[in-house]
This record gives sequence, structure tokens and C-alpha cells, in this order.
Amino acid sequence: MADFFLQALSLVSSPSVLLLILIGVLFGIVGGSIPGFTVTMAILVVFPFTFAMDPVSGVALMVGVFVGGYSGGIVSGVMLGIPGTPSSITTVYDGYPMAQRGEPGRALGIGVAASFIGTLISVAVLVYFGPLIAHFSMQFRPWEITALILFALTLVAGLSQGALLKGLLAAALGLLITTVGYDRNSNLRFDFGFPFLDAGFEMLPVMIGIFAFSQLMGNLEDLRDESRVAGQKVDTNVSIPYRRIAQDMAGQKVNTLRSSLIGSLVGALPGTGGTVANFVSYDQAKKFSRHPERFGTGTPDGIVASEASNSAVAGGAFVPTLALGIPGDLPMAIMMGVLILHGITPGPLMFEQNPVLVGAIYASLLIGAVIMVLCQLFLVRWFAKISLIPQQILVPVVLMLCAIGSYALNNNLFDVWVLFGFGVVGYLLWKARVPLTPLILGVVLGNNLERQLFRALELDSSWLTFLTRPLSALFLALALASVIFSLYQNRKIERHRREAAASHDA
Amino acid sequence: MLTLTKDRALALAMLLITGIMLVETRNIPEPTSWQPYGSALFPRILLAVVALLSLLILVRTFFGSPNHSPAPRHAWREWIIQNRSILALFGAFGLYAALLPIIGYIAATLTFLLASLALLMGVDTKRKWLINLAVSVTLTFSVYVIFRFGLNVWLP
Repeated sequence: MADFFLQALSLVSSPSVLLLILIGVLFGIVGGSIPGFTVTMAILVVFPFTFAMDPVSGVALMVGVFVGGYSGGIVSGVMLGIPGTPSSITTVYDGYPMAQRGEPGRALGIGVAASFIGTLISVAVLVYFGPLIAHFSMQFRPWEITALILFALTLVAGLSQGALLKGLLAAALGLLITTVGYDRNSNLRFDFGFPFLDAGFEMLPVMIGIFAFSQLMGNLEDLRDESRVAGQKVDTNVSIPYRRIAQDMAGQKVNTLRSSLIGSLVGALPGTGGTVANFVSYDQAKKFSRHPERFGTGTPDGIVASEASNSAVAGGAFVPTLALGIPGDLPMAIMMGVLILHGITPGPLMFEQNPVLVGAIYASLLIGAVIMVLCQLFLVRWFAKISLIPQQILVPVVLMLCAIGSYALNNNLFDVWVLFGFGVVGYLLWKARVPLTPLILGVVLGNNLERQLFRALELDSSWLTFLTRPLSALFLALALASVIFSLYQNRKIERHRREAAASHDA
Repeated sequence: MLTLTKDRALALAMLLITGIMLVETRNIPEPTSWQPYGSALFPRILLAVVALLSLLILVRTFFGSPNHSPAPRHAWREWIIQNRSILALFGAFGLYAALLPIIGYIAATLTFLLASLALLMGVDTKRKWLINLAVSVTLTFSVYVIFRFGLNVWLP
């Protein structure tokens, strides 16, 4: 372990890779701090630049974006009172009031410190649990993997707020997209006689198209609907009171640790991520606090709970992605696409076959965290200025970068059309309130699911084997349970809504 | 009265697509003697799942609680007017993809950025024009330089 980690560390600490991490962190913070841009979008825009890089450099750049992105939300959260990403919504609850009281520097400093510690703790979780889970999952045969993928898909579909049917539909559509073109037996499927469909769709233009277009066009619609106050004046002149922050953090040891662990755990669960993490952690911090009434008025506890947990998601989310080959959330699904693009298949074997790359991910997370702190402390006023970029400028620029990124994948214009086509599809599905995360997860997992399913059936042509093998049966039962649970949840939400409507009418 | 709500449109569109794709699965070669199941099995399972879920969504639209009933639908015309900038942006992007191979990266990208920025920001003041021009030109060329010289990717 120590051996390959040192080797990875020396690779990652070469000047060019350090520079890439710096660029990644900077871009991540900028992306995270622009409201409506999200960590996922930042990753999508950056990843085309990794095509020509070696795996370590590419991974280092992407990890930098992750670390920066999860800490970027704090800037706009504190300065503007608008969460830069959904994963920093609860940062606003206390960060903004504190800034309004005239202490924006203190709020930012506490948030950055909490982010830093959160990232470090989550790396520790990843380093400890990653290999452990990978080792355990080495016993998984095709039946177990098939069942596990199905479980991940139903879980994510079920978590799509009150839209279980549409979530499952999205997941199935995502899987279906991967069946176009030649399959593993060199049989053509769904080419409809068009030769350009022979090779199927590249995963990345599909993912970008579906996610980016719906998100960007949605931003424009929001803009039209609320017509935000233009030319908002924001004082970006911030000084950081270091001593005060050190005192604040000294009183937050338990809170920081708890929030980081919650973030790591939530990050490791499929279908959750930073958005869930910061709410759960904020809620827990409030319950454990001796002064719950101070939450929401600008208390350091709230900022720490939110920022430590959402940054800890970065390390936690890598656990299932690396150890099982199953990404838990959208950014990780795209990260997995990037790894596959570089010829690395995430999964239990990665720890044996590519230990140096795994070490490089650990090292990049650690170095990224340090760079993040330095960037945030020295450049915060610039980030605050950049976060004011209007959507009207942002949207065309990002669309252009998406197009060029898709083209650069294979120097192929067809991929730009794939991007466009799935952009339209994604937008329409989003309009029909179909959750898109299960779809993207389906696209990432489709090929593996089919391969494992058929390997299982080739080894034993009976479908019953899926139920007679204990672990596979357990995963399938969990998949079923997740569906039933979310049905029950939907009912409850529905009943609440009806009661609320009834009391409103009365 | 039967109206075409979003859910119904979604379900019907999905059923249509699954229908077409199900017919197309007949063109997938049959399994060879050593394969227990053929290449058509997996997509057929998925198509069945999609069709079943679409049917459930469709059926639910008829039994849903009144809370589920859609907001009064805008007429098509109104909808288009309301979303004209988004529709135009989709159009501009399609045009961009079409123009890329014909007039090359630099000309196409400049045109796309200038046009879509003008569309979204408006063109009523000189300042907006200046921002538009500055953003378009800087980005077009810096992306070109990064890809061409930094990453050795030839753009069209």
C-alpha cells in the first residue's frame, strides 16, 4: 500500500500534474460558485481537455475539479445568499446571515477550513474502506454483479423525488441507449440501416447532451420566470480574520468530524451525493447542538456542518465507484466515463491492476484540498466577482465548449450531432419531469450489465440461479425493497400534499 | 375531456418508440447454436420494461388525484412565443453543428457565439455589443489555441 502510494505521490507531485490540479481546483471553485452551473457541469466542461493526457494527469485534473467544485458553492452562498451548487444550500442558512452581520471573511474562512478537513477525512475513509470493499467484492460472480447493478439503478430511480415510475423509465432508457450498434457478439442492433449507427453512441456526448442542455435551458427558463434583479451590487472586498477562524474551528472538532463522516457515508451511497449530505449533516448538527436556536442566524456550527459534509462527499463517492465499478451520483458517473475513456475499468480489479492510479486519486484529493484552501483564501474576491457572470453569457459559452469537447473525443462530427440529438431528448424528458440521473447512470452501466447478465446465463442458463445464490438474491431483494420503500414514500408525500391542500382550502 | 398532458405525451411517445424498436429487433441475428440466448434478448427485456412503465404512467393519468391535473395548457402559439429564445438557441446550435465542417471551427464558432449572445443578452446598447464581441473573440481563439497547440487536437 505505502509503496504504490509513494510512487503515485511522486507522479502527482511533478510540476505539470500539480499545475493541472491547480487549474482543476480553480475551475472547480469558479464552477461551483456560479449559481446554476453545478459541480457536474464543471466536470463536463473540463473533461474533453483530458482526452490527450495520460491517465494520471487526466485523473488529477478531474479530481481537482471535484475538490474545488464542492468547496466553490460557499463563495456565492456567503456573498450573494444564493447557493452556487445544490450541495451548499445549507451553507447559505448561516453563511449569509454571518456575512450580512459584516463578517463575510469569517464565514468564508470557516467554510473553507471545514471543507479542507472534510476532504481529508473522506480521503481517509476512501483509503481504508476502498480496498476493503474491493476485496470483499472480488468474490462477486456475474450473478452478484448483475443484481448489484440492478439494485443501484432502482435505488437511484426510487430516490428521484416522487417520480418512481419515471425514474425507472429513465434508467431503462439509459440502458437501452447502450444497445445501439455492434454488440459483443458482433451482431448489429438498432442501426435502422444507417452505417453511422454501427459503432453505437459514444457515452460522453450522450451524457453531456442529456445533462447539459436540460440544465442550461432550465437556467434560462428560471431567468425568464423570475427576472432577477440585475446589476446586484456586492461588496467583494473581503479580509479573512485568521485568528478568529482558528478559534471558531477549535470549538467545532466534534461537529467537523461528525459532518465529515456523514458526508463520506452519504457520498458512498448510490443515488445520494452532496445535496443530500449537506441537509442530513446540518440537521444532525442542529439536533446535537446545545444551542439549536442559533442555527439559521449565522452560527459557525451551521457552516461547518454544511461545508465539511459536502466536501467529504468527494472522497466517499469514490468508494463504490472504484471498489465496485458503480458510481453513486452524477459527477461520479461522469468520472467513471472519463476513466473508461482512458482505458481503465473501475471495479475491484482496479486496486490490483492499477494501484498507482488509485494512489494517484488519493494523492490528488489530498493535494487538491491543500490547493483549494490556498486558492480560496487568496483569491476569494475574484471568485465572488466571477460568480456574478450572467447566465446569458454563460449558456452559449458552455454549449460551445460541449460541442468542441464532443468533437475532440474522436475528431468526429457525428458526436456533435449525437450531443445535439440527446440534448433535445434530454430537454424534452426534463420538461416531462423525467429525472435524468437514473438515465445517465443507465448509460454508464448498460454495457457492463448486459455483459454480466450474459456471462451469468452462459455459465448457467437457468434464471433461477439469480435467486439461489445468497448474495445475488440479497441484492435483488434490496432492489425490490427500494422500489417498495419509495412507493411508500411517494404515498406519504402525496398524503401530506393533499392534507396541506385541504387545510389550505379550509 | 381528453387533453394531451405532459405525462400522456411522454407515455405515448415512449410506446411509439418501443413499438418501432421492437419491430427493429427482428433484424437482430438469431442466437447461434452455442448461445443460450441471443443478442436480441437484452434489448427486448428493456423494451418490455419501458413499455410496461409507459403504460402504467398512461393509466395513472386517468386515475390520478385532482392535484395531479395539469395547469391549464397554453396554446401552442403562446408556448412558442414564451420559449422563443430557447427554441432559437436549439436552432442556433443545430446550425452550428451543420456549419462546423463547412466553414471551419473559427468562423462557425464566432458566428454561433456572436449570434447566441446577441439573442440572449439583447443588442440594445453599445456596451452589450462590446461584451459580446470580447467574449466571442477571446473564447473562440483561446479554445483553438489550447486544443491545437496544448492538446494537439485538430479542430475542423
